[in-house]
Amino acid sequence: MATCLCDAFFDEAAKASVEVLEGLGIEVVIPEAQTCCGQPAFNGGDWEASRAVVRHTLEVFSGEDPIIVPSGSCAAMVFHGAPLAFEKEKDRALVDQVGGRTWEVFDFIFRGLGISTWTGSWPGKVAVHSSCHTRGTGTPEAIRSLLGSIEGLDLVDFAEPEQCCGFGGTFSVSFPNISRNMGNLKIDNILATQPDLLVSGDMSCLMHLRGLAEKSDRALPARHAIELLRDTMDASILSHGLANH
Amino acid sequence: MASQIIDNYAAELLEDVQQSVRSGSAAGTEKRFKVLFEDFPEADRMRKLAGEVKQHTLDHLDEYLAQAESALEANGAKVHYAWDDKAACGKVEEILQQSSAKTVTKSKSMVSEEVELNDFLAQKGYDLVETDLGEFILQLDGDHPSHVVKPIIHKNRAEIARTFEKHGLGEYNDEPEVITRRARSFMRKKYLAAEATITGANFVSAESGRICIVTNEGNSRFGLAGSRVHIALVGIEKIVPRDIDLSLMLNLLGRSATGQALTVYTEFISGPKAAGAVSGPEEFHVVFVNNRRTEVLESDCREILRCIRCGACMNVCPIYRQASGHAYRSVYPGPLGAVLSPLLAGAEGFPELADLPKASSLCGACNEVCPVDIPIPDLLLRLRDRGKKEHAAKASANTPPMGAWAWVAQSPALWRTSLKSANMLNLLPYEKIPFGPLGRWTKDRTLPPWRGGKFRAWAKNRKKEAK
Amino acid sequence: MNDRDKIFTALRAAVAKKEKPADLPELPLDDFISRPRRGAGDWADFRRNFEAANGDFLAGGPDLRSLLEREGAKLGYCPEDLRDIISPHLPEGVELRSEFNRDEIDEFAFGITRASHAIAETGTLVLTDQETPDRLGALAPWIHVAVVGEGNLIPSVVQAIQMLPADPNVIWATGPSKTADVEGILIEGVHGPGIEACFVLS
Repeated sequence: MATCLCDAFFDEAAKASVEVLEGLGIEVVIPEAQTCCGQPAFNGGDWEASRAVVRHTLEVFSGEDPIIVPSGSCAAMVFHGAPLAFEKEKDRALVDQVGGRTWEVFDFIFRGLGISTWTGSWPGKVAVHSSCHTRGTGTPEAIRSLLGSIEGLDLVDFAEPEQCCGFGGTFSVSFPNISRNMGNLKIDNILATQPDLLVSGDMSCLMHLRGLAEKSDRALPARHAIELLRDTMDASILSHGLANH
Repeated sequence: MASQIIDNYAAELLEDVQQSVRSGSAAGTEKRFKVLFEDFPEADRMRKLAGEVKQHTLDHLDEYLAQAESALEANGAKVHYAWDDKAACGKVEEILQQSSAKTVTKSKSMVSEEVELNDFLAQKGYDLVETDLGEFILQLDGDHPSHVVKPIIHKNRAEIARTFEKHGLGEYNDEPEVITRRARSFMRKKYLAAEATITGANFVSAESGRICIVTNEGNSRFGLAGSRVHIALVGIEKIVPRDIDLSLMLNLLGRSATGQALTVYTEFISGPKAAGAVSGPEEFHVVFVNNRRTEVLESDCREILRCIRCGACMNVCPIYRQASGHAYRSVYPGPLGAVLSPLLAGAEGFPELADLPKASSLCGACNEVCPVDIPIPDLLLRLRDRGKKEHAAKASANTPPMGAWAWVAQSPALWRTSLKSANMLNLLPYEKIPFGPLGRWTKDRTLPPWRGGKFRAWAKNRKKEAK
Repeated sequence: MNDRDKIFTALRAAVAKKEKPADLPELPLDDFISRPRRGAGDWADFRRNFEAANGDFLAGGPDLRSLLEREGAKLGYCPEDLRDIISPHLPEGVELRSEFNRDEIDEFAFGITRASHAIAETGTLVLTDQETPDRLGALAPWIHVAVVGEGNLIPSVVQAIQMLPADPNVIWATGPSKTADVEGILIEGVHGPGIEACFVLS
């Protein structure tokens, strides 16, 4: 599942996800008819509109294969949000079936495939922003474990990591002042550690933080964490514990 | 489209108030995390267990309330019921009249704020004084709490000093120790002069008929020791099944609220004073207040009634920190208030507070710190669904309509076409469009270049190459 | 319908709506004990926790004398049945009264009462109506001295709950009264005592 954000702005992140999975020997199918997970309407309270879009997504991703998403936010929509929106609906069972095989990409590599270390080297300081939708999932540990194992890569911790970046989807335009202030607090905390790069499993957070930084002329290099895995991946990755799979 | 009230409130909030709120909240969050996890590596499991205990109680509340009533009465307490705010105020007045009480001391009770008890009793000519330091200051100011545990988190020492001076409590002095001593001196006379004292209750054990009150200042102790009549105003959801459940709750409450293993005083009250005691109440009344809690219990947001009023959620909430408690325009602020306040307002009052559930990025930090594991983000989402269904204007302010988006997102061909054609955006100076959602985005942020269709093209080519 | 009936009727209707009522879980009580705090659950641990909450631990008579001297205490409340234990340790010129006179509330510098138990895990003293002839004696003076028997130490909060006395007014007191309402700054001595002391009787 590419996600609508990657479709619109961040093809590089979606590409990198596919490349990493294929590098691990996985056959990746990209259904052409996919559009969006339905979250924007869901969060805004328009559950009718959201369900309509979710139903389309259920159809596109029908089957038995794991669904991999380069976004903690979209993945959480599929396995947590959609069941909530379909609580009183007749096709609730189908929602659960699809949600049950949907994974955020890092969590899939770490817990799904059992791979906890990576190849290659990337010398530098990397700050990891855990998106709020990965709370209670395997993703934060997955990102830290995989990136932290890359040679030369120094994970830096910044203050108040539990504080949301302020994106929150339509929240960013419904509550623009609070959203901006939250983002700036996050940027200040991150920049205080002087990282070479900021990464996250969610481009939505990065779009918001990078956008704020750029508008106020601050440098904040930021990429999707999966791009680092793609860049440092070499052939030896195949012997990295795929035996578990 | 009108903007969101809470966002405006945050934008207009005075710098020093925001500073006070932010540092108070952050300190609370830090202390909680440190103490809770140092003491209990399994703290998250304890939170889930406490949530189950509370949920079980709520799911059988009719039985447990009846049990609590019997146990309290067996202990010599008089049990009363109040359906709504009017009944609660009326019941308290009735008890005060029956005991010819004129002067009343009061300890913290959020439910008393709900029913507006203080104004009611003042109008009826009672001399009522709030004894908790923060609440006392608010009473002098004609102000209201902005946090369930730290009622004056929004005030600084200068403001308090001015208040004291204005009310004859001494010349301007903003030393916290001086302020505290002045309150102590003032209050001692009041405790002894009062015929009745009103408290809340943190918990009620249905098994033993005990109420449990936690404080740090000792104000409820003194209120009880000084008076003849004790009235406890208690929301019906404060019940726990057994005394042993208190061991779990008390271990979580202090740490979640203020980073303390236990508050200085934990009082277990099961009746009027013992036969031989010189000081203490001769009468113990418990008024169980409903005030729409049965409505909440019936709704799909019933989990919010688990709340034990620790304040951890508002401490960690980034929106609360930016806006402060009064932005929520109701008794309960922060994540707790965003769910509970619109529900306690009833069907007619809901639209007025329908924007509260929107004031959240759904980050989930509140649920992560909640000692009874309330799934607050899910409840906020349910209330957003309700706000949309009821066409609440305050909820939809500044919210982009989703009809067109949903239509395009159900049609793959339309979707792909839109992706490609919107590449035109890159030719437009879109940051110069000052209105609508795009305008609100670009006021403070740049937008990345539109790359619609690029991923799809790559995916298609890769398929071709594979062949 | 009176309010009681209204509430119970509404409650029954509300709980009936829940498809799957939640069960009361098993409580692993052992997990609710803070090992770092409790330690072995003995008097050394009580003292550590009591002093961490700024309680004054009086190991013996001389400590009591020093405390009263240091604070310049002249008049104290002490019930009859504790007089013989306390008198030998008083500094010169200190007077005890066995009745707490409300009108002279500010004359009493200290109050001495029994605590029925102490809790090691948190440095807490357990006060009850049955062991406290006048609540004001334990509460109003700046200094409170709780006399507790050596054999009455409870290791943990969980056990203290299991041993809650059948008394209408059980108070767990952990250190002197305090507030942080003013800018989060901790101040001791609010409405309760500003000095909480513990005198252990063997």
